[in-house]
Amino acid sequence: MRFEVFRQEQRKDYHVHVGDVHAPNAELATQYAQVMHARRKPANSLWVVPKEEIATVDSDELGVEMGGTTQKEYRWATNYETGEMAEEIEESQREQEAATEARDASEGD
Amino acid sequence: MLAPDDLAEHERAAVETELRTLADDQFVAAERYIDWQVRGPTLEADIAVANIAQDEYGHARLWYDLLERLGYEEAELLWERPPDAFRHATLLELDYAPGDWADCVLRGYLYDTFEKLHLESLEGTSYPPIADRLEKVQGEEAYHREHTQSWLDRLTEGGEVPAAPREGGEAARNASDEPVRRLQAALDRLYPHALTLFEPTEAEQSILETGVRTRSLADLREDWLAVTTPFLEGLGLTVPEPSLPDVRGRDGSHTDDWESLYDELTYTYELLGREPAKLMAPPDEVEG
Amino acid sequence: MDIEEVKRRAGPREFGPGDDMPREYREAATRMIQFHANSEIMGALIERPFIRQAPSLERKLAVSAQVQDEIGHGQLLYRAAEQLGVKTREEMLDELADGRGKFLNCFHYPLHSWYELPMIMFFVDGAAMRRQASLKRTSWEPYAHAIDKICFEEGFHIKHGEDILREIATGSKRDQELLQAAFERWWPRILQFFGPTDDQSTHGGFAQSVGLKTMSNDDLRNAFLNAYLPKAEKYGLEIPEYPRVEYDAERDHYEIENDDLDWDEFGEVARNEFPTGREQIEARARRQEAVEWVREAITDDEADAGVTGAAAD
Repeated sequence: MRFEVFRQEQRKDYHVHVGDVHAPNAELATQYAQVMHARRKPANSLWVVPKEEIATVDSDELGVEMGGTTQKEYRWATNYETGEMAEEIEESQREQEAATEARDASEGD
Repeated sequence: MLAPDDLAEHERAAVETELRTLADDQFVAAERYIDWQVRGPTLEADIAVANIAQDEYGHARLWYDLLERLGYEEAELLWERPPDAFRHATLLELDYAPGDWADCVLRGYLYDTFEKLHLESLEGTSYPPIADRLEKVQGEEAYHREHTQSWLDRLTEGGEVPAAPREGGEAARNASDEPVRRLQAALDRLYPHALTLFEPTEAEQSILETGVRTRSLADLREDWLAVTTPFLEGLGLTVPEPSLPDVRGRDGSHTDDWESLYDELTYTYELLGREPAKLMAPPDEVEG
Repeated sequence: MDIEEVKRRAGPREFGPGDDMPREYREAATRMIQFHANSEIMGALIERPFIRQAPSLERKLAVSAQVQDEIGHGQLLYRAAEQLGVKTREEMLDELADGRGKFLNCFHYPLHSWYELPMIMFFVDGAAMRRQASLKRTSWEPYAHAIDKICFEEGFHIKHGEDILREIATGSKRDQELLQAAFERWWPRILQFFGPTDDQSTHGGFAQSVGLKTMSNDDLRNAFLNAYLPKAEKYGLEIPEYPRVEYDAERDHYEIENDDLDWDEFGEVARNEFPTGREQIEARARRQEAVEWVREAITDDEADAGVTGAAAD
């Protein structure tokens, strides 16, 4: 059976997909995952999931962008002109600006 | 407590012999594990077995290092040492047929179960340097046990698991279930040699009197039988009657397989004629 | 996607399992990655006897770890190839066993003793690292991803190989003579590692046009020679007169006299017809056959069969 391996670097991080292992069952899969994905750089936790249990949705299947196609600026702090902001509001706005820049940059490729 | 730089004659003999036994067992176990590298049944199993081999070499290194701190050099402990001065159980030196994965997992199980008991009996040792290193070793050994048990469970899953042990082993030996048949064959062959794990060295009395080890090998054998017998029977295997082989391992008598293995592993050392290379800093030691 | 679009878009990590790649691309990529994966396995095979033979406890650890890494790299690479939807891992491993799977020329030759080990562990692995570094920019993203991990792990392989070389090179006169002999035996094979010169290479042109391959054979060989010729000299190795390798200072380029190399032998090796290469393939196949019972015992009825990846229906 094939298991996909997800690795959590440190406590409270998200588990990230790092590869797969072929194993007869989940027990051996967790043991293999430890050797293959947490030996040199110790991880905090590993998940192994049988590949056939993973349901996926891909953007090109949908034919339509994930997240919708009508205007959504109302969800962005950058949409609003209200003068001075509290610190934490400013930070939220900066994060959204960075995300927009990143998305624009990747779309431009 | 015993002090490394102030050991009486009989204390030194006890410490050294126990260390040699520990180290030699791990070293030879590792040698047979590495045979499986690039020959494992799957890529993942291959990688896992290599991991175990490296752990075992790592453990051997920790125990040989304690001997080096008592004045020995690596060459004296391994490469220049006569083969009949090695103290490992004969279980660990035996060769096996190509493809005999049943041997790998069964041998691993028999040895790992012993090692757990052995290390536990050292937790209360009177020799602090041994105590200091136990946790590291025990941590890795836990993974080895999991691995071999997972494999034994998985290999015997397909066949019938009887509620009670079968008579005479006929059923298991003739099982149409190939994994069970092979596991039984491996058990029949390995079991007498596994019992040499408990053969005392000439220093056994001293080791117990000085407190280097808190339980005798004879006692450990009872515990080992109490764990392994039900487990193996639960897998549908028949545990052979206890009997020892002609050679005993810990007294320096070994099989021909050891002679061949020893010759192979010292070949390049002899060819080069150089001091064995160290690549890492010596293991940490907590003073105490 | 048609092949023209692929060529237009070809760039580092541009394509992944979500893309509908044309057959030509998928087959070329599979061939390349499969060759690489097979080479990891066959490289591990050639080195493994030296775990037992390593002349110190710590060298045993290092050689065992190297061999283990190589199997791990094979695992990653077969997976990266599988995702192209042309062959499964099982199919590729079967091809390796039955003699259809191709792999690096150097692994078709035997390693007789510890003296020869640095030839593989330093020079050949060093050449492989050079090529791998260039593959970080390959267009098939899963391949590039696998390369990241491989590059991360492999640094110590070459450094340990160099340490072994250093130990021998600083030994007795006899050690040095044996080392030189080993070097002379392996040098032509190492020069052939990167394949024929570009104009004689069969698949190279297409692979480069779609971004799979990012550096030409000649450029890779040059980069390798730049780094490793000085190393050879550092350890007292004499570069043999033949095959002729001339340094052209103006172009900062090593000219290799191609006719001095045995390309007929290379061809035999590449077709898996060279005797010692066949022995290696068969030795591995026998051992894998011997554990077939284990694979049968652990395979469920529904599992593992079939093609995966982008082209799977």
